[in-house]
Amino acid sequence: MSLIELEDVSYQYRTQSEEMAIEHVDLSIGKGEFVGIVGPADAGKSTLARMIPSYIPNFFGGDFEGHVLVDGVDTREATIGDLSTTVGMLFENPFDQMTGASTSVYEEVAFALENQGYSVPEMIDRVEWSLETVGITDLYNRNPNQLSGGQSQRVALASILALQPDVLVLDEPTSQLDPEGTKKVFEVVGELDRDEFTILLVSQDVERLAPHVDRLVVVEGGRIAHSGDPAAVLSELTDEASTIQVPTQISVGNWLRERRFVDTAKPVPVSYEDVIAEVKAALGTENPHSRTGDEPEDETSDRGDDRSTGQQAISFDSVTYRYSDAVEALSDLSIDFEGGVICVIGQNGAGKTTFAKHLNSLLTPSEGAVHVRGKDTRQHRVAEMAREVGLSFQNPNDQLFHDTVENEIRYGPENVGRSEDEIRAGVEDVIERLELESVRDRNPYDMGQARRKHVAVASVLAMDTPIVVLDEPTGGQDAGGVELLGSIVEELAEEGKLVIVITHDVDFTAQHADRVVALRQGEVLLDGTPEDVFGQPSTLRKTNVSLPTVSQLSLDIGLSQPVLDLPELFDVLERRLADRVAGS
Amino acid sequence: MHGSCMAQEYQTLGKPLSSILRESSGQGNFLEYQPGDTIVHRLNPVTKLVVSLGLILIVFMLPTFWGPLAIVLGLAFVTVMTGVYRPVAKILAFAGTPLAVALFVIQGLLYPGNETAFLVIGHVPVVHEIVFYEEGLRFALLFLFRVLTLMISLLLVIVSTHPKQLTTALMERGLSNKAAYVFLAALQLVPIVQNRSRTILEAQQARGLDTKANLVRRFRSVLALFIPLMISMLIASETRALALESRGFTREGERSALFSVPRTAYDRPLMLVIGLAVAATVVWRVLP
Repeated sequence: MSLIELEDVSYQYRTQSEEMAIEHVDLSIGKGEFVGIVGPADAGKSTLARMIPSYIPNFFGGDFEGHVLVDGVDTREATIGDLSTTVGMLFENPFDQMTGASTSVYEEVAFALENQGYSVPEMIDRVEWSLETVGITDLYNRNPNQLSGGQSQRVALASILALQPDVLVLDEPTSQLDPEGTKKVFEVVGELDRDEFTILLVSQDVERLAPHVDRLVVVEGGRIAHSGDPAAVLSELTDEASTIQVPTQISVGNWLRERRFVDTAKPVPVSYEDVIAEVKAALGTENPHSRTGDEPEDETSDRGDDRSTGQQAISFDSVTYRYSDAVEALSDLSIDFEGGVICVIGQNGAGKTTFAKHLNSLLTPSEGAVHVRGKDTRQHRVAEMAREVGLSFQNPNDQLFHDTVENEIRYGPENVGRSEDEIRAGVEDVIERLELESVRDRNPYDMGQARRKHVAVASVLAMDTPIVVLDEPTGGQDAGGVELLGSIVEELAEEGKLVIVITHDVDFTAQHADRVVALRQGEVLLDGTPEDVFGQPSTLRKTNVSLPTVSQLSLDIGLSQPVLDLPELFDVLERRLADRVAGS
Repeated sequence: MHGSCMAQEYQTLGKPLSSILRESSGQGNFLEYQPGDTIVHRLNPVTKLVVSLGLILIVFMLPTFWGPLAIVLGLAFVTVMTGVYRPVAKILAFAGTPLAVALFVIQGLLYPGNETAFLVIGHVPVVHEIVFYEEGLRFALLFLFRVLTLMISLLLVIVSTHPKQLTTALMERGLSNKAAYVFLAALQLVPIVQNRSRTILEAQQARGLDTKANLVRRFRSVLALFIPLMISMLIASETRALALESRGFTREGERSALFSVPRTAYDRPLMLVIGLAVAATVVWRVLP
């Protein structure tokens, strides 16, 4: 019998009068199932999730039709409090779901248990168990308001687990985590005892999620577009122009089947282990080493050369930065940048954002010096540096305050004293680049988070600064959004700007970077072309960065230098397989 | 909940449960719990509150400044012995000094019962001379020591009591969990708002907001900070309401408390002493 049943459910938010968030959805989820919910931005994934604990209709007003049954109870007839022991939900924003009344993580996790009236020994058992399950026991005495996004996300997860609800609904539980952290959370959730937990997990990270789930549900335009076994659903998706980033392992598996190297009846590989086994089998295991002629043509590593301006745009000279006596965020960092697209990667807490804030003198070095286009950042105010460096922050909500998209975009260029003609031209240019024409008169806060991020990026690009810095531009974006940002970043570099992207997204880095800088504990761990940096997986692991799957695959079949995208990988495989057929 | 002084000490993560509160890292608030293990720290928070209120009642009934002075000295001694004098002294210096100066000047010069000159400053231009009167100064001292008693005793309660212990103790006495939440959340609100404002200010400065520009621009800069702050606080409070709801915050029925607030051997005697002292003062001063 199914534990959760959605019967012909439709819903419209009160604030969005034109569009339905969810339309005529039927879905049934059995006890002990782990269901992954994926889909493009604003497709209705979170809306669907909010129906299970009855936030819709009990908290969010609007038009709700149909029925949602959880363990036989109609959510219309229950309160959120009634359902709180049956359904636990984790929200997308990690900070706002803290109670705000605890002085330690331990109390925070125990909060819900106190409300349920558990005895002290029972509370201790549950708090210890959930802290350990999520792997944050060492944070027990920290103040919940002083944690990073990734840590908060794990504390929130532990607080939900402590109640041991029958159903866990997790909305983007890894949006603030680095790739290793994301992998760990998916593993933790995947390993929960299915006799006790039924799980719905909403995520954009299809590649890391897919190996763990029993079923994948694809939501598009408020409807369920696909639902079923992850391998089957994902290979259906490769056949159509989809807004969902299809995992590399699926694309490679499909390619092998199309070329008849693998029996088409065999299910497509979902995990990395399965796909590398298939590739090795197709290539023949006796052929692990690369021979001359196998290497991909080296076209990418010189991408940056013709873009560089020849002068040093930015130079860090032995920069050390301390937040307090105890915390050194940057340690004796020396590095120069000229031009092109530079991606800065590294684990949570590696010093990436501290580094970015040094570029426009929001922070100045405790020791050493930073020069930006010849200016010592210590001698200039942030407002002055804003003419040279445009910095877009991770959270768009920290920037936006105008009533229309257009006014928002005008704000930056007006501040730095551009002429009216320049402003108008600049605004039109970025509206076109970021595809904001249709929403230019709308209020940014009426749009989804992904679109709002585009507005925030546009508002910085409109200042037309020679240096552009983007902090996590692809966070929360769907495949279309990532592609758009990638092409903009490349265009800017072609125009001669220096573009620095702070990111966790290694696929984005592999496809668009001319140079990759990996930071670890405030120091440069690796610095070079994407091929150089992704060719050293064991060093990268020290800062919790794993390779893009294509690069990992290419190294695992014996190439000395990693490839950076699928067409390249297919080229290599094609040649190898042709050799093998010819040789046999 | 009588006899809870006998409550067993639970262990967690290899240490006593109550040590979690002592270890919890601070907020950076200017008025904050100072961890410690003195008698004052261990007293039941309700006892501390009752003793403070008792002392405040007494000093406001006493007629001359000598009694309040003795109590202030006694409180100062306890505060120093408890080791929490630093934040208390800071606030007294900050708020108490201007109050003292204002009291002495205004009452010394203008107190309605002024008769006996105490200090005469001559050769003053315009007004010729300034006279401080004894009656006014005595009144100023009385009032100052009353206010100091109030400040020191309440500050001592605040800095020696973990907020969670205070609310737990008050909830044992019937305070609603909603009121307790509001109290705890309010303590955390200031640093949260500060953090958010700083992030927003940085994001706007990065777009060329100049906080040192002309008036019109400065007015716009206030908007640039205020609107995102308000919107984010609104979104946050809505999400938080949902988070609380889904953690059974509004649930009816029995609740439990992770931390218990034991009573020490001193609690009852202290309550008794302060009760008697208040009663004695009432008999002496208020009844004919």
